[in-house]
Order: sequence, then structure tokens, then C-alpha cells
Amino acid sequence: MILAQAAAWADGGTVQLRQEAGDLVITVFTSPGPLTVGPVDISVLLQNRDGLQPVLDAKVSLVLRAEGSGIELQAQPTREQARNKLLYAAPVTFSKPGKWKMAFVVIRNHEETDGVGALEVAAAPGKAVSYAGYIAFPPVMVGLFMVRELLIRRRSQRGE
Amino acid sequence: MDPIATAVLASWTLDWGSLCLLLTIAVLYFRGWLHLHAELPHKYTTGRLASFGGGLFAIVLALDSPIDALGALLLQAHMIQHLLLTMVAAPLLLLGQPVLPLLRGLPRWLFKDALGPFLSCRELKQLGRAIVHPVVTSFAWSAAIVVWHFPRLYDLALRSPAWHQAEHACFFWSAMLFWWPVVDVWPSTPIWPRGAMIPYLLFAGMVNMGLSAVLSFSNHVLYSSYALAPRLWGISALEDQAAAGGIMWVPGSIAMLIPAAILGIQALETRRAHPLKPVLRVLTPHRPRQWDLLRIPIIGPVLQYRYFRRCIQTAMLLLAVIVAIDGFFGPQVAPMNLAGVLPWTHWRGLVVVALLLAGNLFCMACPFTLPRDLARKFVTPGYRWPSRLRSKWIAAGLLATYLWAYEAFSLWDSPSATAWIILGYFVAALAVDTVFKGASFCKYVCPIGQFHFVHALVSPLQVKVREPAICGACTTHDCIRGNVHQRGCELQLFQPRKAGNFDCTFCLDCVQACPQNNVGILRTAPGRSLLEDHHSSGIGRLSRRPDVAAIVLILVFGAFLNAAGMTEPVMMWMHQWHARLHLSSIVPIATVMYVGGLLIIPAMVVAACGWISRLGVNASWKDLTCSFSLALVPVGFSMWLAHFSNHLIAGWSTVIPVVEKFISRASSVNYLQARVPNWIPSLELCFLDLGLLLTLYTIWHVARRLSTGDGVALAAMSPWAVLAGALYSAGIWIVFQPMQMRGMMIH
Repeated sequence: MILAQAAAWADGGTVQLRQEAGDLVITVFTSPGPLTVGPVDISVLLQNRDGLQPVLDAKVSLVLRAEGSGIELQAQPTREQARNKLLYAAPVTFSKPGKWKMAFVVIRNHEETDGVGALEVAAAPGKAVSYAGYIAFPPVMVGLFMVRELLIRRRSQRGE
Repeated sequence: MDPIATAVLASWTLDWGSLCLLLTIAVLYFRGWLHLHAELPHKYTTGRLASFGGGLFAIVLALDSPIDALGALLLQAHMIQHLLLTMVAAPLLLLGQPVLPLLRGLPRWLFKDALGPFLSCRELKQLGRAIVHPVVTSFAWSAAIVVWHFPRLYDLALRSPAWHQAEHACFFWSAMLFWWPVVDVWPSTPIWPRGAMIPYLLFAGMVNMGLSAVLSFSNHVLYSSYALAPRLWGISALEDQAAAGGIMWVPGSIAMLIPAAILGIQALETRRAHPLKPVLRVLTPHRPRQWDLLRIPIIGPVLQYRYFRRCIQTAMLLLAVIVAIDGFFGPQVAPMNLAGVLPWTHWRGLVVVALLLAGNLFCMACPFTLPRDLARKFVTPGYRWPSRLRSKWIAAGLLATYLWAYEAFSLWDSPSATAWIILGYFVAALAVDTVFKGASFCKYVCPIGQFHFVHALVSPLQVKVREPAICGACTTHDCIRGNVHQRGCELQLFQPRKAGNFDCTFCLDCVQACPQNNVGILRTAPGRSLLEDHHSSGIGRLSRRPDVAAIVLILVFGAFLNAAGMTEPVMMWMHQWHARLHLSSIVPIATVMYVGGLLIIPAMVVAACGWISRLGVNASWKDLTCSFSLALVPVGFSMWLAHFSNHLIAGWSTVIPVVEKFISRASSVNYLQARVPNWIPSLELCFLDLGLLLTLYTIWHVARRLSTGDGVALAAMSPWAVLAGALYSAGIWIVFQPMQMRGMMIH
């Protein structure tokens, strides 16, 4: 029951960048961790520098560039896409491992605030590892079935 | 309302996977509770039901509500989440006395056949009793909460979703153990006297208090993840930690003290009601009346309406005509043509889903037999189908040819070829059935029909006699002979001696014809007819039919070959050989691939498996091979299901612009791009898992039927189990490959 909620993980996660820019404190998270090739949730928390109140009326855009190649990803994190509605989130899919440069722009009250950062993306685990639970399911069930057969046989030998 | 508060309150995330699981548990509990409430109303009260429901709701609240969303930023929110799981959800679930209701709520076969041997095992009972011993449960709970609050582990859980799940699972299940002896869950008997639960709770309270004190009075932030997290509303990380400690201390202690006080009051009472011991009969479900689709309100009468089949056949006929018209005269680009989208993406997907959830619904709605029924009003067929051809060999040949042609001539990519196939089907059905009596085309020729007949063997519904005793007294046999109002079964299936869905088109002629109203659409265990191998009217024993085994093998190996043909590595391989041999078309490569993969390799592998199996079994090679080949149906069906459901889910919306274009004939329609959701591989792997398990179970049954002892059965089944495992592995490989989404706009 409790293990079944594995798919529910989204936004928040590992803090990748924290930066004060203009009137804002900007924090960028990625989830799940560790950051690997494949689908990732990037979320941004914007806070007023005074009082650290979350800012909910901004427009955020992100550009991610893989270092050493021309691959570029663009994302428009929004609160609608976020699980925690204090954050701005967007799903992105990293296609290769290595260092990715991140540039973000925040527009609020016609004022533009920007910043840069970097993300280290590790190679993705093999698909067989990612789906190990599904592949392990039949052998586990076969094992349980064998135990069941042994129990039935033992019961019949005892004449129960 | 304050926008920040609104945002927080809106931070719900309903995870449909876990919600479905919780709903299933709730339905099982409720089903079992209804039975038990009727038998033991004083024990299974409405309060128990409410308590169990409250426990499930507390889990939803902990895992899907804003509490979880805020937990990544605030330790105090995370602490509330853990308290909900351990101090609210776990005791409420146990107060619902869930063991018997959940067992009674299970399907009878699962409860009796699958779980029965485990439930009656003496060692497992002893193990269960040891696990719920108060010393063990107290230690398990204390260890879980102390160990997981070590900074290194807590931070690990905050960084990794998998470890976070593990942490929650540890908290929840250790709490279930902890509360077990306190609640005194039925039917386990108390190990310690009830009064001993008071120090038990007080000890746990002290552990809880000690940990709370560490959090509350620490002068530095213990968890680096919260030290790094952005601070909300100006709450510092240390203040947040102290507040979390306070939450753990006060409500956590109250949760221990209240039951301790209740137990104390109970101990002071002179008269205490002894708990009722469970009686065996509450664990033994009564055999219910068989579930019958035709007895379901609205659906049943609609299905039994005399002209129902004609109506759906007419609708399908109109659809087939429209698809053929667009195929002949519309744009010859598959994703822009009804003949490129509807048959290959939607129809195939819906057919396998219908087979999985119900039965052979396509044959029920078959449009190809409607024109021949109309023609028979003017022409009476004068011949019986030749006795030498009364087998599935023609259909097997046509099926193999169709699978080869699909790949060799890229049928999915050619709307006009699809339209020709539809037209050819109408002509063939008309030609065969206006010359020969009965449903000769369906039974002996139609390759699509054979696909449905074979895979309906694992469907959960079956057209079957309701009460066999009534048929015993029947002398007219209208279900097969027909009467003045209604024809009988054209496929020569005599209902009282019909076993399984093979050759059944779900036409419901027998339902209409039976004067006793004794034929229904009953529930059956998927794959049951594969296990039993009864002699069936109009068919004989499936295990004695090499022609049926041939069809099964073509469909099983065809499933994997057809899906593999759409994967990138196989396509690259085909094109490499095409270029290397300087061929003008791909047809020779596809021919080699299909002759090898569909005929030669299966024949050799199956022959070898049959030969190895025969070493320990006193049965002919033919009987062995036919019997075990049938057992491969589930794994083959799972591959078709994984493959076609992938196309259906990814491309279900692609039909909308194509219909728009067909209706308006506009040239500027926006074609939707197919989207492949990231959960599709999980679904496909689930299908393959279930297919493999049902195949292995069937192989085991077949082996035991043909062998004298378990050792011999194991030896006999081994090569077939290896073959099933190899097919499953091929399926896993296919699922992990990039797949060409044929007939769709996709990037």
C-alpha cells in the first residue's frame, strides 16, 4: 500500500541552485535524485528577499544546454504543472549525461531577472534496472507457487 | 483568502496508481464486511467499517495532500505526515479488524486455492505469532523510528524517492505491528494480558519522547537537506526542527496515552467481555450464484434484444464501408486516412482489450457475415463443407500469409491495400457461405476469427449453460437445431457439451433459441479451458488437434515477430540486408524472416521440446506437443496485448482529425501527434508478467495431467517452461526498444 505511491514523487527534491537576484531569492530543485538521463522534474521556488514570502505571480522560463554539444532544451515551468503550488515546475528529458548549463529568466511586474547555473547529469541506469520490479515479479510468484505446492503435498502426506 | 494559503491548499496530487490500490483494498474490505456483518453483526459493526475507511483516508491525506508537498521544504510538515501514517492510519486500519473482511472479500479461488495452503500452514502461523509478539513489535517500531531519524538516513530519504518510499514503508508497517497487540486484532489471540499493554505503550511513549527531545533541544540543524532548503515564511531551519520535535512530542505522546488510559479503565472493570473466537464458518465463503452478464440490469436485456446483434453488425458494416471508401479514394497517407488509422490503431487495440476484459466481442459485431445473412434470404446454400477440409489448416495458412503480407507489403501504410482486404473479406464470406451451409467461413476459413477463438480461451466470460440439470431434461435441443423463430448454433457447438470459448462467436443464437432461457454469459477463470482440456461439442479435445496447435503456434510466435518487426534494431537489420543484397524490395527479407520465425524455428523448437518431454511421460509425441503448445496461448496473447495497447493508448486521439478531414474534405486539418505516456512500458511489462505466469501455471497443470508423479511432471514441463521464459525475455527486449508508431504522426 505504502510502496505503491512510488510514482507520486514530483517537484521539490534536491536543491541544485540557490541565488539572490534582484528582489528575489531563487531556488531550483530537481527530482528524482540523483539526476540522471531521462525524464526529470525541474522546479523553481521564487521568494521575496524581504520576509521570504513565496512569489506566485511571475513567469519563469528555462534553457538547458548540454556542454560540448548543440543539444538545447527549453522549458516553461508553471505552478499548474507543479505538485506543490508554491513552486513553478516543468518536466524535461535529459538526453545525454554530463554537464548541462542552465539559464533562467523570471519576469515579474514587467521586470526581468535572470541567472545561470549548471547541472551534473549522470548516465541513466539500464532499463532492466529501472523496471527490475516487473522483471522480478514472475520469479517471486513462481517461488511462492512452489512453496504452496510443497505445503499442499506435505499436508496430504500428513493426511490432514 | 490569502493567495499563499490558497496555493498550499491546492497542492494535492492524486496518484492514480496508489488510489486505485487503496480503492481495491476498500472494495475488498467492504465486500468481506458485508458478509461478516450479516453473520456477526455485534463484531463487525458499522464503527469497524468507518474506522477502516478512516485509516485509508489518513493514508491518502498523508501521501497525496499538501502535507506531502510541503514535507520537502518543512520538517514539521514531514513530521505530521509520519504521525498520520504511524499514529492515525495504522491504528484506525487495525480497529477495523481487517483480517477476516479482507480474506472474505477476495475471490473464492484466490482465497481458497492460492492462499489456503499458506493460511493453514502451521509454521507460518507460528511465524505470524512470533512477529506479533509484543517484544518483537515494540522493538521493530522503536528501531524504525530511531534508525530512520539518523541524519544520514533521513537525508538519504529526502534526496531519493526510492529511499523515501522505503522510509514510509518502514514507518507504516512497523506501526501496524506496534498497534497489533494493543488493538488485539482478530483472529490472533493475545500473547500478553491486556494490562501489560499499558507499560508497553508507556515504553514506546518514552522512546518517542526521547527522540522528540533531541529534535527540540538540538542547537544545530540535524538534517542537511532542510538546512539547504529555502526557508518559507521566515521560519529558520532550527525553528522548524524544534517545531517538528514538538509535534512529535505532544501529539505523539497523546496517541500513546489515550489507549493506555482506555486499557487502564478496562482493567479496572470487574466484568470484561471476552472477545469472540472466530468460527470457521466465517472463513468459509458460501458458493454464490454464478455471475451472469445477461442478468445485469440494462446490459442483459439489451444483449438479449432480438435485433441487438443486427444493430451492431449494421453499425460495423457502415463503418467498414466508410473506411473502405476513404481507403480507395482518400489520401494515400496512412495517418491521414481512416483506413490507415481505424483498423490498425484502434480496432486491433480495442479487440485485444475486449478479449482481456470480456470475450470475443468482435465476432459478435462482425460486419462480414451480415451481407451473407441477407444473401441467404435469396440463395439457400446446398452443400456441406467438405469433410476433408473440416479443420483449421486453411485458416492457419491464411493467418501465416496475412502476418507475412502485413510486414512484406507494409499493409498498415497503404490505405488502398487495407480497403482491398476489407472488400476481399466481404466477398470471401459471401462466396463461402452462399455455397456451404452453416458458418463454414467463420469456422474453417476466417483468420481473424481464429485469432479471436484462440485468445478468447483466456477471456473471463463464456457463453454457457446456467443449470446443467435443465439441459438434462431437454429433448428438443433448440440451442443447436434451432426452431421456427431462431436458428441454432451455426458452428455446431451443442451448449450442454460446450467447453470454453473456442469456435464461439458470441452470436447469442443459442441464448435466443433456448426455450428454457438456460444459456447465459457466465464468468469463468481466464485460461480455465486450457487447464481442463474437456471434450467439447463440435471441436473434440483441443489437445488432440494438431491444426489448432499450429494456429496457436503461429499466433504465439507471430505476436513476437510482428512486434519485433516494428522495433528499431530489427528494422535496421532488415534494411542493412536489403542494401547489402542490392534488392529492389524488402519482400524477400520479410519472407525469410517470416518463413524462419513463423514456421521453421517454431516447428523445430516445439518438436525438440516435445521430444524432450516425452522422455519421462507415457504419451505420444503428438499429444504432448499439442497439449503443451496450447499452454503458450497466454504468453502470446500478452505480447499482442502489450503491442496493440501501446498503439491504442499512444494514438487514440489520431482518429479525430482524420474523421474531421473525411467529413469536411478540408485540406488544412491539424493532425495530432501521437504521444507515448511514460507509464506504457510498465503496463506492457504487467501484461507480459501475467501472460508468463498463466502460461507456466497451465504448463504445470498439463504436465501433471500427463504424468504420474510430480518429479516426472517437472521434467516434462521443463523444456516448455524454458520456451515460455525465452518468449517472455524476447517480449521484455521488444518493450525496451524504440518502436515505430505505424500509422501515426509521431516525432
